[in-house]
This record gives sequence, C-alpha cells and structure tokens, in this order.
Amino acid sequence: MSKQVTQKRSRALQRREDIAGYSFMLPSLIFFVGFVLIPMVICIWLSLTDSNMHTQGGGNFIGLKNFISLAKDEVFLDALWNTFVIVFVSVPTVTAFSLWVASAIYKLKMPVLSAFRCIFYLPVVTGSVAVTVVWKWIFDNYTGILNSVLKTTGAIDANINWLGDEKYALWCIILILFTTSVGQPIVLYVSALGNVDASLVEAAQVDGATDLQAFWKIKWPQIMPTTLYILVITTINSFQCFALIQLLTQGGSGTQTVMYYIYYTAFKLTEQSGHFGYANAMGVILAIFIGILSAVQMRLAKEK
Amino acid sequence: MKKFLALLLIGAMTFSTVACGGSDAPAAGETQPETKEEAPAEPAKEEAPAAAAEEEAPAGGDAASSITLWTYPIGKWGDEATVKALTDTFTAKTGITVNVEFLAYADGDDKVNTAITAGQAPDLIMEGPERLVANWGANGYMVDLSDMLDDTDKSEIQAAPLAACTAPGGEVYEYPLVMTAHCMAVNLNAFKEAGADQYLDLETHTWTTENFIKAVEALYAHYGDTVAAVYCAGQGGDQGTRALVNNLYGGSYTDAAHTAYTWNSPENVKALEQLKSMDGIAFDASLAGGDEIAKFYQGVLKMAFCWNIAQQLDPNAAGTGAGLTITGDEIAFMSFPSETGESKLQGGIWGFGIFDNGDAARIEASKQFIKYMADSEATKDAVIAANYFAVRSSAEGTDLSAIWADNDIMNEYQVLMPYLGDYYQVTPGWAGQRTAWWTMLQKIGSGSDVTEAITQYEGEANAAAAE
Repeated sequence: MSKQVTQKRSRALQRREDIAGYSFMLPSLIFFVGFVLIPMVICIWLSLTDSNMHTQGGGNFIGLKNFISLAKDEVFLDALWNTFVIVFVSVPTVTAFSLWVASAIYKLKMPVLSAFRCIFYLPVVTGSVAVTVVWKWIFDNYTGILNSVLKTTGAIDANINWLGDEKYALWCIILILFTTSVGQPIVLYVSALGNVDASLVEAAQVDGATDLQAFWKIKWPQIMPTTLYILVITTINSFQCFALIQLLTQGGSGTQTVMYYIYYTAFKLTEQSGHFGYANAMGVILAIFIGILSAVQMRLAKEK
Repeated sequence: MKKFLALLLIGAMTFSTVACGGSDAPAAGETQPETKEEAPAEPAKEEAPAAAAEEEAPAGGDAASSITLWTYPIGKWGDEATVKALTDTFTAKTGITVNVEFLAYADGDDKVNTAITAGQAPDLIMEGPERLVANWGANGYMVDLSDMLDDTDKSEIQAAPLAACTAPGGEVYEYPLVMTAHCMAVNLNAFKEAGADQYLDLETHTWTTENFIKAVEALYAHYGDTVAAVYCAGQGGDQGTRALVNNLYGGSYTDAAHTAYTWNSPENVKALEQLKSMDGIAFDASLAGGDEIAKFYQGVLKMAFCWNIAQQLDPNAAGTGAGLTITGDEIAFMSFPSETGESKLQGGIWGFGIFDNGDAARIEASKQFIKYMADSEATKDAVIAANYFAVRSSAEGTDLSAIWADNDIMNEYQVLMPYLGDYYQVTPGWAGQRTAWWTMLQKIGSGSDVTEAITQYEGEANAAAAE
C-alpha cells in the first residue's frame, strides 16, 4: 500500500516536472514551429508548384520542373558560383583571422582586451545599412577615398570603378563581409582560449613542447567546439549574404548571389509566371547546400 | 499564498494578452505598421465629421470614415508636411481621415506586391500607368474608374495621358493628375569653361547628335575625365538612358502597339557603339539614376541624363536653389540630342488608383478622395505639390492652365512639352525588361559586343512581354 502511494506520488511529481518543462519550452516551440518549421514545409511544397502572386492558393503541382529549369538558368548558375566563391573565401579567412587575433589578445589585461573586443565587434552591432553606406563612399568611383589614396601614392594612374567593374566588385563585397563577420568569432575565440586548462599547457611546456605544439596539441582540441560553431555560422552567413548585394550592386557587376536572386525572383519578377515557386526552389537548393556543408564541417570536426 | 500569487499573475498575464489582441482591431487598411494617420487640420471640426460626411458623400453609397493612401515620392507628394496639409483639407471637408504611407522607389514595388499578396493592399495608390495600369490593373487588383469620367472630364484631360491610364479593354485604372517630359541637364558653367556652350541652343533647349558629340569632346579635352555617365547600376532612372540611346539616331524602344520591345535596331546599335567609343562618356555600373543626379549636383559630372522639371526646381532635392549645383553653377535643362534636334521625350504621368479590396464603402471614400484631389478646386494645390504640369485644363471650373504663370522655370520648361513622345511604359513585361536593359548596358560597358548584347537582352525583354 505504502509502495503504491510512493509510486503514485513519484509519477505525479514527474508529471508536474514534465508540464513545467514543456511550459518553459512552449514559447520557443511556438516560434520555432510558426516561423521555421511551417515556412520550411511551405517552401518545399511551393518549390514543386507554379505558384505566383497573381494566383490564389498554392499554385499547380508541377513536380521537379522548377529544379530542372534552375539547372539550365545561367543567371542562377552564375549566382551559385558567386555564392560558393564568397563562402570558400570568406569562411577560412574569417576563421583563421579571428583565431589569430584572439590568440594575440586573449592574454592582454582586461581594459585593453575589452577595447580590442569593442573595436572588432563594432561593425557587427552597427547597422548593415550604415556600414554599407560608408563602404560605398570609400569605394566611390569618382570621389572615393580609396581611389584618392591609391592615386596619391602612385599605386594607380586612373580611378578604379570598384563596385562597377566585374573584376573587383565581388572581392569588394567579400572584403566588407569579412569586416562585418570577424567580430563575433574573435569574441568567441577569446572566451574559448581563456577557458583552456592552463595546467595542461604548462605541463606540456615543462615536457618541452614548443608554442606551436602546445597550441596544436592542447589548445586546438579544446577550442574545437567553438571552431565548429564559428565555421557553421560563418558558412550560413556567407551563403545568406544579401544586404550588401542589394545596397551596393543589386546583383550587377558579377555579384549576383543565390540569396539576392531569390529576392529578385520573388518580389521583382512578379510578371513572370510561377515566380514564387521558382524562388522557393532556389531556397530549397540553398538550404541543401548549407546543410551539406554544415554536416561535412561537423563530421570533420568530430573526427579531429 | 504562493498559489494565490501565481493565480493573480496568471490572471494579469491573461488579461493583458486579451487586452493587447482584443477585438478593437482596426479595419484592414488601418493595420499597416508604418502608416501615419493624418489628423484634421482644425481640431474644432473633429467633433462633426459624421455630419460633414453625410453632406459631402455622393448619393451612390456610404463612404468609409478612414482610408489609406500609399504614395511614391512624386515631387512634394513624398513630403509629409505637404501631403498632410492636402489631406487635412480633404478630411475637414468630408470627415474621411487619410492614413498615408510614403514609399521609396527603391523598394516601394516590393512593399506593394507584398501587401497585395497578403491581402493588405492600401485603398489608394499614387504612381504612374506602368504600375497602376500595365501591372496591377492588368492583373485585376485595381478598380475601374471609368465611371468617374464624364464627357466634361474627358474634354478637359489631355488625350495622351488619359489613353495611357486606360487599359486595352477600356478600363481606367488610373485617374491622372500631373505629367511632365523627362529630359537631361548640363552644367552651363562647365560648358562655358570648356567652350562647349556653343553647341547648345538655349532658346529651344534642344541640340543635335553632332553637337552633343562635339560638346563631349570639348569637355573631355578640357577636364580630361568622365563628363557624363551611362548609369546602369539598377533600374532607377532608366528612362534617361533609354531616351539617350533611342534619340541619338532615331531608334525606338517598343512597337507602336506596345506589344513588343524593339531595341535591337541598327539605330540603337549605332547609338550604343557611338556612346561606348566616346572619351568622356562612361558606362558606369556603380551609379543608378539617383546617384548620377548627386554626382551632377556635386559638379563631378558635367551632364545628367536623369532629369526633369522637379529636379530643375530643386536639384538633388537638396533645397539649395532652383537650377543650381551645390557650388552655384548654373544648370540648363536640355532635350536629348537627336539627328534633327527634335527628339521624342519620355513622358511621366502620375495619378491615383484604387485597389479593389472588396469593400464598397472604402472604394467609395477613395473615389471621393480622387475627385477632391484631381477634379475640384483643390486640384490646383495637388498639382503644385507634385511640381509637374496638370493633365487637364480645368477642374470643376477652376482654371489650371495658368497655375505656373508666376514661375519662370516652369514657363521656360514648357518648350519641351511639344516633344513628349509615346508613353510606351505600358508594354507587357515592363518590370522584367527593366533589368534586361541595365544588365545589357553593364555588359556593353564591360566590353561585350554591342550587337550580341542587344540581341540577347532584347530577347529576354520580349520573353518577359510574352509571359
């Protein structure tokens, strides 16, 4: 009898804890389902239709026709190529640079360290529009400070149209993306390096390990979860580069990216039949590539 | 005690949730987050709006007490204070309040398209026939306004703008208010310094292609740098580059029936090759129309291809004086150069349209607004606010032909109005072809063969037209 009562109380307690737990999760769950899960399902469904803004409902089911059309769409293939260039240049450079900076500053005294953190984090908290406008002034073809400095120092004879020339425009975008992307990784790496067990490093040094060996054998494995997180978020941010393109080049001068082409197809090409379905198909492809790259990064990091 | 406190807190949260999302939700048009409600000008009249509405409302039906207007920056119709003054007088007269949202050309279309898709389109919109007639009207989102036009209206409104506002099926999706001819501009001081002013006819404000080429040569010889830009960073201000290319050797942009694009002609190829070959002219993919105006206003460029009377009255919308650059150089507006000097200028027409939101009362109130702004004694103020010319000679007995009589610049600008060309912006696929045009200019600027580029992108434009 006593055992039964105890079990009953235990189950009631468990139920109360479960209810409390789910109640705490509920707000996040509602947002996750409402703003992530359902839109994802809708996106996948619409990518298989000829949906557009002028037809009621979700459009007609057309199978994989949108994906087949995308495989032949030169603008999309160019956009995909540019997106990969941005990702494969941006992700390693952002990760390496932020690790280098964090390694150099994490042992500094707190006020100096805080100052560096602020400096590198400033472009992250500054509005992307404000940052972009400043960069637009810097790169201006006629009155930009970059051309002015390069001409004054004799590096160039005539002005370079940084944002209007296919040879330079994409690299200018990558440079701006770099400056706005390094802040968060630096802060994360400073924190991760600060948490590395100092006794392990000291023991290795006592055993004759060089600085490089101490870093590679002791610190690097311990900051691997941070590195993995940085790789994944930088990859996703690079894939989703949009504001810079929209504000600086509108996809021109060889800077078309998948993200901008999605926006352009969905909201500008409203006269094109099936434009919503087509844009959603691009979104699905982009999500697949992001998923694959993130999975590869996680796998490699786990093996390490 | 704890349970009581918890219950109290739950009760408070529930109450606040219900209160926040309560049943006092405004009607569809009032839910736009960025909408600004225009209060009546005279507080004393707030107490009697219903009575006023009853007096003013036409017999046709009951009008709603509140409507929404989205307007693009058409002269000072993009200025909050100016528009508030206009809507206040309307509210004082009818009791109908007007919630105004100001759109930018950069993303205004996106906002409207998103609103249409979400079933949240405004009641009224102010823009041109390329959007109201050829796009939203053709796709069935607009109300036919032909019942607002009686024989008197049709005789007062100029035939060309009224035709542009009318769909092929006879539906009038835009009630026109103002019009102008887009043109170009030159920095007269710079031209004089370079000895290039001899190529300008400042009496007629026209010039020939031959003189344009000589002027660019003289300017380049004097300044040794880019003096004018075929801007192509985006679609903004593309009417300027179209007019420049079409007029140089007499090319066309669409066929007369407005069914297909006709850029790929020997005249346009010749014009593009001529421009590409000229020192001093740059195909600049870093500038759109607004950027070009800014560079011209700063004195960096000596010519602007994106210009009209609104710019002449207030260059770069900077408020630093009519017809002057920031450094005080004199600006002369000019027709686009052509072989004969008599060019076909691109027209601009702006007016009001009503989105069909299925609410007869709101449509009725919107029609009252249009009637008030575009065909009443208040039309004069509405036209002056736009900084353009009225499309009609008079409105309900008010003479509109002389409203700019005391403005020398407006009077002088009238010399260009006879050159107003075909309003071809109503050709199908308009939004898609605009991208094809500036992308083509970018390709030509980056070294692509002119004939190949024009063939490829005209093909894309016609594919968009055929959709």
